[in-house]
Amino acid sequence: MANPMHQFKVHKIGPEIEISGINLSFTNSSLFMVISAVLIITLLLLGTREKKMIPGKLQLISEMLYNFISKMISDTAGKKAKPYFPFIFSLFVFILFCNMVGMLPYSFTVTSHIIVTLTFAMFIFIGVTVLGFIIHGFKYLKIFVPSGVPLVLLPIISIIEIISYLSRPVSLSVRLFANMMAGHTMLKVFGGFVVSLGLIGGWLPLSFSVALTGLEILVAFLQAYVFAILTCIYLNDALNLHH
Amino acid sequence: MSDLNDLKTRLKIAKSKLKNKNSDTNEKKGVFLGNAFKLGTELVAAVVVGTIIGFILDSWFGTKPLLIIVFFLFGAVAGITNVIRAAKRMQKGGD
Repeated sequence: MANPMHQFKVHKIGPEIEISGINLSFTNSSLFMVISAVLIITLLLLGTREKKMIPGKLQLISEMLYNFISKMISDTAGKKAKPYFPFIFSLFVFILFCNMVGMLPYSFTVTSHIIVTLTFAMFIFIGVTVLGFIIHGFKYLKIFVPSGVPLVLLPIISIIEIISYLSRPVSLSVRLFANMMAGHTMLKVFGGFVVSLGLIGGWLPLSFSVALTGLEILVAFLQAYVFAILTCIYLNDALNLHH
Repeated sequence: MSDLNDLKTRLKIAKSKLKNKNSDTNEKKGVFLGNAFKLGTELVAAVVVGTIIGFILDSWFGTKPLLIIVFFLFGAVAGITNVIRAAKRMQKGGD
């Protein structure tokens, strides 16, 4: 029977490229990242080409995406976060498209690898921390010292706050990675059941498979959404220093 | 031109309908589900980070089992505070 984990295998396409000991070969993972990026760029370029009063389908989609993210940012992080709109928009759309492209048969889900999601998360984490220090200077360390805590408890509370702060990139990356990987493994397992049970017993797992596909599409959207909204919340913490 | 006028009236009707409906219920539902997905990892991640910090400090100071236990507990506390904070944020955003 087909191995359910086989779909996550990264293999290189084309020649092996190695620059100063770092393997930079083009893999199927990079291929699907490029596909997602190209899809996004074509969608947005086509959608914004004719700026009609009465939008066509593509324009409607791109405007909806724009409104969705802009509303999310103003709801969670306020007006101050407006300059970071391009970053959060590209982050959300890229993760969404990677997840959705991964739902197509024979494709590869880029976000089902923890190294990809961890890179996103570390980028956000380091960026937000640096931003906090740039805006507030050393006062930014105040987020580790909540107000109104008795002096005796302060060291313990600070340690807890620091751990909670450091756990941000971990929870951010593990959530996306685990959801995508678990979902795709489950789909493959049920798909395998369909094949092995054949014409007589295969209908039940097939119906499960159909339902799971719907659920996975929902999860693919939700995870991109959660990732973006948490980025907004972290950004908000760095911009407006208070708990 | 009559097409455009037609569309205008239709837009007006649709807009007034949208206003009457108590805003975007569907979107809210999605937000709640997103929050539900969030809570589980929030708890686990802090415990994992705490344990890793304890492990690293242990190998620095050579106090093998002590700090890992202490920081595991700290991690658990941090995880619970994270979850409580997320839940509070949910309540604030909920209505």
